[in-house]
Amino acid sequence: MFIASFLARRLFQGALIVLLVSAIIFTLLRVVPGDPVRLMAGGMAPEALIEQIAEDMGLRDPIYQQFGRYVGGMLQGDLGQSFVRPANGASVGGASFDDNTRSERAEVWDLIANTAPMTLQLALLAMVFALIIAVPIGVWGGLRPGEFPDRFALYLSSVFVSLPNFWLGIVLALVLSVKLKLLPAIGYDGFAYTILPALVLAVEIAPFIIRTLTVSVAGVMGQNFIDIAAVRGLTRNQIIFHHALKNSAVPLLNLLGVQFSMLLGGVLVIEFIFDYPGLGLLTINAVMQRDFPLIQGIAIVTAAAFVLINIVVDLCATAIDPRLEY
Amino acid sequence: MSYLEITPDLSTPRKERKIAARIWSEAFASVEFKIGLVVFVILLLSAIFYPMFSGIDPTKMNISAKLSPPVFFGDGWSWVHPLGTDQLGRDMLSRALVGLRYSLLIGVSTTVVMLAVGALVGLFSGYFGGSVDTVLMRLTDAQLSIPMIILAITILGVSRPTIPSIILVLGLAGWPVYARVMRSTVMSERKKEFVRGAMVLGATDWRIMFSLILPLVLPPIAFVAVLDIARMMIFESVLGFLGLGVQPPTPTFGNIIADGRKYLMNAWWIATMPGVFLVLTLTSINLMGAALERARNKIYGGA
Repeated sequence: MFIASFLARRLFQGALIVLLVSAIIFTLLRVVPGDPVRLMAGGMAPEALIEQIAEDMGLRDPIYQQFGRYVGGMLQGDLGQSFVRPANGASVGGASFDDNTRSERAEVWDLIANTAPMTLQLALLAMVFALIIAVPIGVWGGLRPGEFPDRFALYLSSVFVSLPNFWLGIVLALVLSVKLKLLPAIGYDGFAYTILPALVLAVEIAPFIIRTLTVSVAGVMGQNFIDIAAVRGLTRNQIIFHHALKNSAVPLLNLLGVQFSMLLGGVLVIEFIFDYPGLGLLTINAVMQRDFPLIQGIAIVTAAAFVLINIVVDLCATAIDPRLEY
Repeated sequence: MSYLEITPDLSTPRKERKIAARIWSEAFASVEFKIGLVVFVILLLSAIFYPMFSGIDPTKMNISAKLSPPVFFGDGWSWVHPLGTDQLGRDMLSRALVGLRYSLLIGVSTTVVMLAVGALVGLFSGYFGGSVDTVLMRLTDAQLSIPMIILAITILGVSRPTIPSIILVLGLAGWPVYARVMRSTVMSERKKEFVRGAMVLGATDWRIMFSLILPLVLPPIAFVAVLDIARMMIFESVLGFLGLGVQPPTPTFGNIIADGRKYLMNAWWIATMPGVFLVLTLTSINLMGAALERARNKIYGGA
């Protein structure tokens, strides 16, 4: 019963947030200069045709009317159609206005649904790499606060945080791919192409995990029940793995929820450098082409994902630590 | 009217005033802060003075010297261009150092904007509570759930990026975190004796907020904001890399590296060398920031 009321409340709040986000993005895109219709109609289109297309698409109606229509569509799972992308793939932004080969424009929802799994694959692999790097270092540092392992964790995470992802991506591609020919870098043609981007993303995530772990493990190890556990005859390993790590899991989960948007920012740039066909590359191209419906759709879907992830994080946290209440 | 004169003493307890100074000296005592400070000062001085005194114009082209490698990597070491030149024969060292100037300028100003907006929102939200709090916090939630980078590249992608617009956009995208921290500290300060005392003495809300609470809660948050300077510098370079930062011919880390990427195969130093400067600067700032954060946590008992 508790779960049901919790879910209902949080989902309602979440829906409000997503609505607010849509309103912000929607207004923003209509206030900024630049007429997307000109781009859509194709080069050399006469002024009358541009006005007619804009009229047909309802782009000259007041913003609140357009927004009402958009939200109406959104509730039925319709995020509109891309301005520039046809359903069959390549962008047609630059085509001439009377080019008959231009086909139906792609559904925003399809574009997002097709690229999201690729990004998920990248993000999950990156998370695995990040945990492999960060957990030993973070726990070790937390067990010896103020000593060398703690210092090491601090220095390493300070250096990792200071590596801009696009620069690290270029350097790693140069060393691992061009010089040593160990890993493929550009494009996507099988799982191997995910490894290098995931590694760069992992370096970006790892310092946050290291820091959270060092602080929370050090905090837990100073508690009374840890001393008592030793008196109870538990070995050091049992204490570390059953007590300390379990208690550090909650801050780690919360971190995941909070850092979601940072993760997304990293994905965006990294996919762009490695030409990895995921949601991030789609976003960058949408911005470059002023594909407003697509930008809007991506912003709303990611905001919804952010809300959902935070609900799941809170649910998992209560499952791990029943003392927590939300 | 003598009771009015004692208000300041009642309102700003000596012990609390000293917290900022204690954090500072605690951080300064650590090795990592000193290392960071030394590296940072060296880089800052070179960024200020090298382009001024070397007499090398970072935008001056010299086709006959194009793509010359850094010293130690060419045949016969030449110190004319210590970091080599790019595809147009421009000196990489002065380009990197001028880039560093813009990077620091934007990083610091953006953090100030972020901190100011976040602190104000948090102050109002935490002090007044009730419906003011609800509205401001829902707005904060909404803003927090739009990925900052999407917001920034959307706005800058459709309008022409200039230095003020970059500072404004990044600053406005990053404030929610500060608003939240500020709100919770203000809420706890508000319940304390000295605030109630000031209220009894008839101080206005405005005065309590800005001359009593703000000076107490801002410094600890501002210390942690040092870490955000580095984060914002990375952001600025990412924008530049995507072509949405300060526009060429002005050299910035982002646009230098984006340019250099095209010549990666035959002139690796264009894309990689300026990055080394950026990484060194960021590491020095992050070391100082981490030391300040630790000092703050230690003094606040891990809060």
